[in-house]
Amino acid sequence: MICFENVSYSTSGIDIINNVSFKLKKGCFTALIGANGAGKSTLARLCNGLLKPTSGSVSVGGFDTALVRTSRIAKFTGFLFQNPDRQICKNSVRDEIRFSLECVIEDKTEIGIRCEKTLQEFSLNGDRDPFSMSRGERQRLVLASILAAEPELLLLDEPTTGLDYRECMHIMECVSRVNKKGATVLMVSHDMEVVQDFASEVMVLNDGSLLAHGRTKDIIRNEPLLARASLLPPQITELAIRLGGGYENAVTVDDMVLSVKKHIRGAE
Amino acid sequence: MGGFLDYSPGNSFLHRLNPIVKIFLSLMICVSCFITDSPFFCIAIIFLNIVMAASAGILPRALAMLRTLIKFCTFLFLIQVFFIRDGTVLFSLPFDIYVTDKGVMFSLMMAFRLVGATLPLALMLSITKMNDLSNVLVGTLGMPYKYAFSLTTAIRFIPVFTAEMAGIMEAQTARGVAFDTKNIFRKIGLIFPLCVPLLITSVRKIEGAAISAELRGFNCRKRDSGYKSYPFRAADIGIILFAFALAAAGAFSPF
Amino acid sequence: MIRISGLSFKYEGGRDDALKNIDMTVCKGDFLGVIGSSGAGKTTLLHAINGIIPHHFHGDYYGSVKVNGLDTVDNKPEDLAGRVGSVRQDFESQMVSSVVEDEILFGLENFSVPRNTIEKRLTDALEKTGIKNLRERNIATLSGGQKQKVAISAIIALMPDILILDEPTGELDPQSSRQIFQLLRELNENHGITIVVVEQKIMLLCEFARKLAVMNCGRVILQGRVSDVLKKSRDMERAGVNCPRVVTLADRLRDEGLYDGAIPVNIPEAEKMVRSIMG
Repeated sequence: MICFENVSYSTSGIDIINNVSFKLKKGCFTALIGANGAGKSTLARLCNGLLKPTSGSVSVGGFDTALVRTSRIAKFTGFLFQNPDRQICKNSVRDEIRFSLECVIEDKTEIGIRCEKTLQEFSLNGDRDPFSMSRGERQRLVLASILAAEPELLLLDEPTTGLDYRECMHIMECVSRVNKKGATVLMVSHDMEVVQDFASEVMVLNDGSLLAHGRTKDIIRNEPLLARASLLPPQITELAIRLGGGYENAVTVDDMVLSVKKHIRGAE
Repeated sequence: MGGFLDYSPGNSFLHRLNPIVKIFLSLMICVSCFITDSPFFCIAIIFLNIVMAASAGILPRALAMLRTLIKFCTFLFLIQVFFIRDGTVLFSLPFDIYVTDKGVMFSLMMAFRLVGATLPLALMLSITKMNDLSNVLVGTLGMPYKYAFSLTTAIRFIPVFTAEMAGIMEAQTARGVAFDTKNIFRKIGLIFPLCVPLLITSVRKIEGAAISAELRGFNCRKRDSGYKSYPFRAADIGIILFAFALAAAGAFSPF
Repeated sequence: MIRISGLSFKYEGGRDDALKNIDMTVCKGDFLGVIGSSGAGKTTLLHAINGIIPHHFHGDYYGSVKVNGLDTVDNKPEDLAGRVGSVRQDFESQMVSSVVEDEILFGLENFSVPRNTIEKRLTDALEKTGIKNLRERNIATLSGGQKQKVAISAIIALMPDILILDEPTGELDPQSSRQIFQLLRELNENHGITIVVVEQKIMLLCEFARKLAVMNCGRVILQGRVSDVLKKSRDMERAGVNCPRVVTLADRLRDEGLYDGAIPVNIPEAEKMVRSIMG
């Protein structure tokens, strides 16, 4: 779905991305992690052509981003930003979703059908004024308007920052659902627990270079690697690493309880 | 780094001038541009602006601004030059469109004045801390602090809003709004709805800034609250005289 | 220190009470974390402490808030500012200057701090927050974590007894977030400043705060020492607040009848817990 070949990006003389190459397969759920300033947001913006590489090439769904307009790529790509207020520009929830659909499809009746379907799916009230909703609700509206267009690729730039736990889970469950239906997801995130729970692959970015790209369970256990990106493993994983002997594979609370029980039985 | 109007730190001769003098100098440069009839004088002024920018270490920014201004002024020049009908015809085009010597002269002066008058204010604001500016407006000129603060806050918010607008454009492009269209009128039509999110964000940010200022004792401030003092030195007096001389030269330039 | 009794507040034009009958005491030297889902009234509570409510935002106000004995209804925010310093969300828009030094001077000048002590107050504030080296820097060139420290420093310069912060790590990465909380701990332990911090990152609160208050729909539903509040993890989850996973683990082990000790709040304590079960 996405293919980076020796991509570098620099702006006003500063290198942000250094010679990054990777491939993301269709249908995967990849998390992009790293400290602030590592270039995560830049990398996400290179994926849909908002930024064009200084050297190297990026191809998305078969298009070279340097050769096609971003609005063309947007027809099959959704991008959820951290701040929903930069997208919302209509006075009602329904109009906001319609506007998103109008950008990517032309058939008027189809737009109407999809709009109503989306309202129902996300249990949104179409007549509400987006600006009277809470930040979490607005983020959900923006996600809904993006998903209404049924994108094949979903890019998320710290989608849950500033949200409370419940809102965060709401957003992530929606994302997970479209991923299961076949959409490819690339998510920039700081929250290692969200990464652990939802992503199947992880890329670690540090100072513009790709440090690692692999399966989630391998990466989140690699403490030295995470430390280089100033991150810590999620709690249970860290606990498992510290405990060693027989606990190494515990990832979730359930795993941990099982391991403890097994240990006690073994001791008896 | 640092965008348009962001403070650019330094310790050059111009940086060290009294903020009032900086503003006065830039205003007088504007004035001299408008009262002169000489294109050569205007060119000299533009050159002076560039030299001043170079001496304050902001040459790249000045050149970038100059480039934008020249583009804009070329556009204005082309529009204006066909509208002035009197004077000797220099050359004519079909459909009764022609260009006269007066037209060229007038449009050229307009373009020069615009460049010469826009540059100095922007340059001076780039090398003046907003706090210093509001402090002298209050301390030396006796402007009420509320007005001075509003003024400097408005200037300070320009880059904030520019960044916000860029973010909004980005978000809208990503959802498929075709800002990358070549048709300029279509583009303007697309940008218009974006004023809504910008307005909402602006109101929210300004409200936040107001509360923060209130919590930090904004309402307690008195005229002499400023900690730093801004004495007039010999260099300041010299620059004031120079500014007057410049305006006089503009008024009586012989060419 | 801070005594809130029977406080209810409804914003002008609001449909529901934003705060409902709140009773809360914050003692000198406390480090209190406030958590709750969005719309629970956390920011409103902070506004009630620093006097923004009822002086800037009006509405129906019942009960009383006393800060160091001063009633917030009778004293304006600027009168309270010397006692309670507020660091607000979105530090970008609360900055008034382009240079760090000027940002800190702003408050000092406003309160007409005597000129001969200003320099000392300024350097003290920079020292306490560990950003002396940033004094001459242009704020626009700083990282998010550094900007937040500047914002805190500007408030510390006013020498408040109490520091209240609204989601100070909202836009920071995990490492800078920890640094901010380490700074808060230093201010609390070494300089005796009382801290009240609204924060979504429960793990930071468990590690750094000593007391915890959980809010839901305008009410404070749980408050007390961190370890005591965490015992009610089910109530917290009902209020839309997640618990650290080691706490969930302890709950589960307790349900299985395997563990009956103190609730662990960080990894070393959790390790101790598991090892104690294994004997």
